[in-house]
Amino acid sequence: MFSSTTRNGNNSDLESFPVGYTSTILKEFVETLEGLKDAQTLDMGPVCQENLSFFAQRMGRHYVCDMFLRLKGGKRNEPHPADGWRHLDYPDRNFDGIQLWDLCDHLEEEDVRRLAKLCLAMLRATGLLMLIAFENKPTSSIINTFVIGQDCRLDIRPQPHLELPWKFRHNRALTSLLSDFTIVRSFRYHSGIREFLFKKPGSFRD
Amino acid sequence: MLKRTKKDENNTPFSAGDTVEEKPAPPPPRPTVTQGIATSDKKTTIGEGITIEGSIRGEEDLVIEGAMKGNIEMGKHNFSIGPKGRIDGDIHAQDVSINGQFKGTVEASGKVAVSKEADFNGEIKAKSFSVEDGAYFKGVVELDREPHQKSVTPNTLKVPSPPETTKLQVTPPSIANMEK
Repeated sequence: MFSSTTRNGNNSDLESFPVGYTSTILKEFVETLEGLKDAQTLDMGPVCQENLSFFAQRMGRHYVCDMFLRLKGGKRNEPHPADGWRHLDYPDRNFDGIQLWDLCDHLEEEDVRRLAKLCLAMLRATGLLMLIAFENKPTSSIINTFVIGQDCRLDIRPQPHLELPWKFRHNRALTSLLSDFTIVRSFRYHSGIREFLFKKPGSFRD
Repeated sequence: MLKRTKKDENNTPFSAGDTVEEKPAPPPPRPTVTQGIATSDKKTTIGEGITIEGSIRGEEDLVIEGAMKGNIEMGKHNFSIGPKGRIDGDIHAQDVSINGQFKGTVEASGKVAVSKEADFNGEIKAKSFSVEDGAYFKGVVELDREPHQKSVTPNTLKVPSPPETTKLQVTPPSIANMEK
């Protein structure tokens, strides 16, 4: 039975979304980065203790910048949520891996392009970019965190403070928005979840 | 001027000549455990209305509810930022609990706890940490841990060449079946 994690168990109407699977792409993402010396990763997903611990225990330095919250306007209800992009002010070629989760599903095309350019700049050559896209419209506009469990199993946990519109994109549309990257691998699961692993072009880690 | 304590709220009539004794205030509630950090009996609280510029060095637990710009060195003692507290600086302490605004580096020999009320922008160096869902968090986490790096093998991923199509692969049945 699919279920979200129990931490926010009172959101019973949000718990039936079919997710809960072992992420092949996440495994590959992590195993590749674990092999690097002092790897640095950036997670743009909603703040999640399990994910923070997971990456912090495996990477040299793990950065977190919750772009879901920032593009929504943040806690301060910033008048222009688009200003959320200013928070991605990291140096160029700083990261070996960036985890977007399903962020692109909540962005307009122009913003996905903008995000792709920022990621391209922030990643080192051969750096990895992982993203997830839903094929079916979620039952609610409330954002779910993908929570990493044992052996890269992913479950979801609703984040009632986060609500963003959802956009569907075909694979071709999505990959064309990220055409500066090389696609390494992609999977489609029966639940309608699609996972993509991209790589910044380059012959060696700079 | 006559004052009535809260205990007088039973509406007992009194005249101008009556005297109402100020009863000693009840002892403050015993400090509670915040984010897993047990406060000790000896603790100082800097209130909301206080602004400090400079550094603090302490030999007892400290809670800041006000504003502070500067570094905080608590050694083996615990430190907390209250929900309305604002700190711009670095913190060194045993256990650190952040419930307000913080910008800087936290270095804890124990645990760092960031609550959902927090607005955190900085770096955590600690043995363990916790961050609640909903926290406004932009940061770096570096755990104090035994190195367990695997051998350095950059470029372990092989990119299919040419990039082929963007057609998704079907999940192997073994994986898909697990989800049912």
